[in-house]
Amino acid sequence: MTLVRLMVHRHRVLLASWSVLLVALAGATVSAYRSTYPTAEQRRLAVELAQHNAATVLLYGNLPDPGTPAQMFAWEIGAFATILAAVMAVLVAVALTRSAEDDGTLELVRSCGVAPRVPLWSALAILAVVAAVLAAGCTGAAGLHAGRVDGVTWSGAAAFGSVVGVTFLLVAVLTAGLAQVVSTAGGARTTGLAAVGAAFVVRSIADTRHLDWLNWFSPLGLRAGVRPFTGDRWWVLAAYGGLTVVLAWLATVLHRRREYRAGLVRPRDRRDTRLNIRSSLGLAARLARRPVAAWTVAVAAVGTLFSAMGSGVVDLSRRDDVGGFLGAQLGGSDPVAGYLAYSATIVGILASTYAVGSVLRSRHDEAAGLTDHVLATGVRRWQPLAAQVAVTALGSGAVLVATGALNALVAPSVIDGTDVAGRSFGYITGQWPATMVMAGWTALLVGWWPRLTSLAWLPLVASATLALLGPLLGVPADVRALGIFQHVPDVAGPDPDVRALAVLLACAAAAALSGVVGTVRRDVMTG
Amino acid sequence: MTVDHAIEVTGLVKRFGAVAAVDGLNLSVRAGEVHGFLGPNGAGKSTTIRVLLGLYRATAGRVRVLGLDPATRGAEVTRRVSYVPGEVNLWPNLTGQEVLDAMAGLRGRRDVPAERRLVADFALDPRKTVRTYSKGNRQKVMLVAAFAAPTDLLVLDEPTSGLDPLMEGLFQRCVRDAAAAGRTVLLSSHILAEVETLCESVTIIKHGTLVESGRLADMRHLAAAEITARLPAGQVPAVAGRLRSVGVADGVAEDGAVRLSVPRRHVAAVLAVLAGADAQDITCSPATLEDLFLRHYEAVSR
Repeated sequence: MTLVRLMVHRHRVLLASWSVLLVALAGATVSAYRSTYPTAEQRRLAVELAQHNAATVLLYGNLPDPGTPAQMFAWEIGAFATILAAVMAVLVAVALTRSAEDDGTLELVRSCGVAPRVPLWSALAILAVVAAVLAAGCTGAAGLHAGRVDGVTWSGAAAFGSVVGVTFLLVAVLTAGLAQVVSTAGGARTTGLAAVGAAFVVRSIADTRHLDWLNWFSPLGLRAGVRPFTGDRWWVLAAYGGLTVVLAWLATVLHRRREYRAGLVRPRDRRDTRLNIRSSLGLAARLARRPVAAWTVAVAAVGTLFSAMGSGVVDLSRRDDVGGFLGAQLGGSDPVAGYLAYSATIVGILASTYAVGSVLRSRHDEAAGLTDHVLATGVRRWQPLAAQVAVTALGSGAVLVATGALNALVAPSVIDGTDVAGRSFGYITGQWPATMVMAGWTALLVGWWPRLTSLAWLPLVASATLALLGPLLGVPADVRALGIFQHVPDVAGPDPDVRALAVLLACAAAAALSGVVGTVRRDVMTG
Repeated sequence: MTVDHAIEVTGLVKRFGAVAAVDGLNLSVRAGEVHGFLGPNGAGKSTTIRVLLGLYRATAGRVRVLGLDPATRGAEVTRRVSYVPGEVNLWPNLTGQEVLDAMAGLRGRRDVPAERRLVADFALDPRKTVRTYSKGNRQKVMLVAAFAAPTDLLVLDEPTSGLDPLMEGLFQRCVRDAAAAGRTVLLSSHILAEVETLCESVTIIKHGTLVESGRLADMRHLAAAEITARLPAGQVPAVAGRLRSVGVADGVAEDGAVRLSVPRRHVAAVLAVLAGADAQDITCSPATLEDLFLRHYEAVSR
């Protein structure tokens, strides 16, 4: 019990901030679905469009009939909530199971007479409690609107909350199992996130191709199985609950079979390679090689998934009555352009996530004392951060160009329209200035306020929310324009307007430059 | 331009908010010497070293390293400095060899034969990834990089805390070789025997201020010497009385064992008293660094 308290105390910020984020997401958005479509006619139209739109089916799944506000909530917010719960599950599970082993604190715990199996059991117990908290929180947040928003019932809210909780627990326990196979916390995190990506792909194929049985193989398909506010099928939840117990047992079995600080798979830790660099830029580039490769694969896969599933857009383009929130989301006039822009926005958000994380690496290196080593060899104070920003610029460029090129190959064979390849490439690579704004903002924080670098994620979350949920939440277009992801012009359109992109690039350059100046004017801060 | 002092610090103040980690410190290290830098934990040694490297900006005071101000010309200073911190973190996914390549590549100067020799001497397997290295092995990587680099000044901040006795001996040889080659060494360490054997001069600091600084030989001179002897049974009370009259109290046990800490000016008189009383096994040893250090150390813990 003491160990459980110690672990909760150590990770309290991680646990609390994610839980609050998820519960707030569920609570703050329910009422928006009541006000967006005041008349039944408008809603019917929007529901029909949503059910036939490839982009939204791919991203959120199928919207069940008759499309009450509660069902729309479970369909759209439910998709975000379950994806976020899955990502949270990976980060929390790795933090609870593997991180303590990597930094040596588990050694101290084990040397105090704690049996080898107890830390893993404690972690699993905490994960179960967190899942229960998430379920209760989301149930409460959504259920409070019962009676005020059409279709919201306490039973449906409980099913919705349980879906979030069980999805979390399923992915968390799965990650705990994977964490026994690989040998480091970083490796466990990568594997876990890859599993979440695979779960998303499986779910989106199941939904776009109407293969319902396939959803059983994806933790993210749990929502489609339970059908909150539609069927509230509790037995599906019970079945998955049983599955988590089996997975937890499997994790403990794997745990028994491996050595302390090792995984079941031994990494190759001896090699005869040399490092031929002559500047901090070269070092940063070498260290960025693997992450950039991983991000390129992941983002290109997601981007191509969108292109490959985009055939439904063609039908849509034949209709004139695109309206409501889908019309707004797909960008108005040309549905093909709208679809491509929308999928490029998703790609832009992912690439920006890479960019923020990559620049934050420079703060991490500084705290770990690695920047000391670099500076002690005669490197100038401004160089490490500048090098990291430059590498991030190149890295996000590589991610976007690779994704854009792959999409330009795939999209024309699936989507009918004029110059689909060029537009697809243009929309995706056009996100580069936006990712650079995120990198620049992060560099600004690292340079001037290194203690506040967690704020680096704030504009990314805000912009992503504006881009994905802005139309739904009734945010005015002027405010939505403050988001950074929706300023890419249609390259096939007449006279594409790139002024917005130039402004973004100027902001990015100014912020990054200021951040680099900031590092020169302050002490190196370790620890 | 030749500089006769490799490090010249006067009135250094470094504040973190309201706390002054270093408060008016003076430190001077002559070019070509091995200089010990001592003080209890939290005395401000690492803070001072980080100012010397330009990693921290001094709040006040004048700092010159190799004749340059590290606050404004940090890169020019560190290009000629090798630095080994006590807590060595390295890039976990690089191999030891790749780290050495990185350090040398960044510096732009490299002595490959020296590096190869040191890797062999320190029995380091440079093909393994840093993740698999122990603390001692990570330290060895940095020591190899530091000693192999063609630099004028070595700044070593508790560099041997993870080394085994065999490697400790090798480390001392490396420091001597460096000094023989004309390089200056600033060695911060808690291993007093190491400082005593390696350093000509030491600086002891406490609460961020200078306590004592100078050549080790001179400092020993000023401190008390330790005298031990064994007295014949009947002589004990008489000798004790005579010693008191010379100015040395206590230290004579009833069974005749003598252990005295004697100020330098009284040593001859005390020895005369002991010799006159037919004492056996007389030893007289000058103060060790440990004596010097502990005097200040105990003052801190009070």
